[in-house]
Amino acid sequence: MLPSDRPPAAAADAAPTPSVDRARRKPDRPAQRALPFGDAGTGNGGRPERRPRPRRLWLCLDFPLLPLEALERATGPRAVVEECRGMRQVLLADAPAEAAGVRTGMPVPAALALLPQLVLEARDPAREAATLKKLAAWAECFTPLVSLEPPALLLEIGGSLRLFDGPHALRERITGDLERRGFSVASALAPTPRAALWLARSGREACVEEAKHLAGALAPVPLACVAWPEATLEALAGMGVTCVGDCLRLPRQGFVQRFGAAPLLELDRALGRLPEPRASHRQPARFSRECELSGEIDDRDLLLAACRRLLGELERFLLGHQLAVRAARFSFFHLRSKATVLEIGRRQGGGGLESWCRLLALRFERLDLPEPVIAIRLDAGHGEPRKGTTASLPFPGRDGCTTGTAPVEDLLERLAARLGTEAVHGLALAAEHRPQHAWRAARPAARSLPQPVPPDDYRPHWLNPHWPDPSRDAGRLLLRRPLWLLPEPLPLPAPGAARAAPLTLVSGPERIETGWWDGEGVARDYFVAVDGEGAELWIYRDRAQRGWYLHGLFG
Amino acid sequence: MTSSANDALEKLLANPRIWRGGSAMRNLDREGAGAGIPTGYAALDRHLPGGGWPREALMEVLVEGHGRGELRLLMPALARLSRAHDGHGDAGWITWIAPPLQPYPPALAQWGMDLSRVLVVRPRRQADVLWAAEQALASGNCAAVLFWPERTGGARAGDGHRARSRGRGPQAKASPFPSRRLQLAAEQGGSLGVAFRPASARFEISAAALRLALTRGEHETEVVILKSRGGRPVRVPGVFQFHA
Repeated sequence: MLPSDRPPAAAADAAPTPSVDRARRKPDRPAQRALPFGDAGTGNGGRPERRPRPRRLWLCLDFPLLPLEALERATGPRAVVEECRGMRQVLLADAPAEAAGVRTGMPVPAALALLPQLVLEARDPAREAATLKKLAAWAECFTPLVSLEPPALLLEIGGSLRLFDGPHALRERITGDLERRGFSVASALAPTPRAALWLARSGREACVEEAKHLAGALAPVPLACVAWPEATLEALAGMGVTCVGDCLRLPRQGFVQRFGAAPLLELDRALGRLPEPRASHRQPARFSRECELSGEIDDRDLLLAACRRLLGELERFLLGHQLAVRAARFSFFHLRSKATVLEIGRRQGGGGLESWCRLLALRFERLDLPEPVIAIRLDAGHGEPRKGTTASLPFPGRDGCTTGTAPVEDLLERLAARLGTEAVHGLALAAEHRPQHAWRAARPAARSLPQPVPPDDYRPHWLNPHWPDPSRDAGRLLLRRPLWLLPEPLPLPAPGAARAAPLTLVSGPERIETGWWDGEGVARDYFVAVDGEGAELWIYRDRAQRGWYLHGLFG
Repeated sequence: MTSSANDALEKLLANPRIWRGGSAMRNLDREGAGAGIPTGYAALDRHLPGGGWPREALMEVLVEGHGRGELRLLMPALARLSRAHDGHGDAGWITWIAPPLQPYPPALAQWGMDLSRVLVVRPRRQADVLWAAEQALASGNCAAVLFWPERTGGARAGDGHRARSRGRGPQAKASPFPSRRLQLAAEQGGSLGVAFRPASARFEISAAALRLALTRGEHETEVVILKSRGGRPVRVPGVFQFHA
């Protein structure tokens, strides 16, 4: 039902609501005509009147020149043309072209006749959509709820007002940023998204904060901004209904019978009588962005700069999502051959842009590009929660404070970036009797088995003149292990053979016989031997095969 | 008379253009015991300026093959360095770059090394060894960096023992050992760099602060100090006393 508490239209017009701040360009309004069939009481209603929640406030950003602004910037007068009823027409012209008289809807030959140097570009809807999505991603730094309504964005800023000092400061900040980025924008604030959209399309810089002022603010909006079907608009214009306020005075029932339920539903939603669910724009969780170069480029510095720009965008994306990634992949596209792929990985997510750029520079200088590059794409790996670190107060004089030492992760990443991840590892003990299994490569700095902490004056017992000294070494591993282990045991010549080097057994045997359960069982007697030159060797006799093997050097 | 002669001498020696070989050593002594890293071998400490391995410097160990005591020589100092860190994870690492065989963790632990501070780097290309060594030395994260810049004949799996008796083939060398550059990196990062090089490098000119050779003595391996900044070249017998 139409609201009964609404003031009559004439009164609303006579006293414009104060919430309409200023009108940039006032559309020509037709003279008010009293409509005799405005019966406010009889509706198809019975619907309860619902007030919107108080803190909902929508900011609509309308980009009327998006088809023009989404394209590459070029100098000179430009116009976007579109095929319309078999004829190419000017859709939008930029300021220099408009100054020369080129207008929207003008046929292309006419425009060219007016301005021979006019640059004509075909409309690119895919590019417009991509640009709008990019803007939506950017707008997510102001509010979590951004909705697309091409060519406009709807931002729910009710929850962001305190952070950004109120609606006016926030709006000025957003529109100022957009204008710096080269977008002309019309904005409007209203408690319902549709009202904000209509107000923005009408070109009014309206700011309606209260739902009760909505009807008054919407009344002068011309119906051309409402984007109803062409037939509906023509019929309404024939009835002399040209603005939203005129519509609101029509009886609901007759309105529905003539034009269907959809326009009335939109009116109700605009006025906040019915809720309007809006789908929130969600950025994809993975970052993937392309950078098209202006031509075929083989200058490595320029390419590196483009990569850095992409990394900067990645960093902003990750910051917005509070994510960190460990891997990123650059694809360099060529005109003829297959794309060259460069993957950079880090041991830990996070880290600033600087360290990514350092890694990139390290890998990029060794990258082999077969041809000039025409485009670069950056795909980031799987995101993981970002971990913050707490900065500590530096006390340079204090002991144990290593200010100025770069994190060891930086070194590990530099090494891994050039040498490969598997080329850098730490060492750890494993609880195993078999010598070749008693250790494993580990992540650096990973602690595996608890290791006994020896006292400061600790010397291995075999450096002790009174070796062995069981009282001193009680509880410690008494059996010597060699510092060098051979990757594979080396068969020694049989004792009687001609090439056999004379070895003297010093200590042993230490019998190791285990591992039968996993097929790599050993049955060995280990000895410490000294060769003719005084070097100590760790050798064993295989009890199954009766052969002698060298397994380690004491170094 | 004597005092005036002494004064004249002192004046002469105060001239900054006169450099005396022993002065570096005396300076180190004045700084106290912290000047060198104790080697763990008293016989060797006596002959080294500062009473131990140099800090923030490059040293070269010239040894033929592997397993001749080159690790045993360093292990007490390395073990101490690995445990001397302050619990802060970014300093005090012991980095091994391109070891010819596998450093065996149980033995390292027996020598008292903190294995959580050990980093092993195995570049696939020989040219990357020096690059990695320079990075590690200059990073400031490593207390010591051990590296094997020249792949010797014994680097093939398990061949270390044979290589020693057979002697080494001619070595193809692409470029001279960049000792000056590594020495600067070690000073920058404040770490001890140890380059293990073949005995044939003995007569090369090197900017390393300390050069040692391990040679076969009459009964055991001898340590020969070839060059020592602030010290003297000397033959040090009886460093290793294994099986007493």
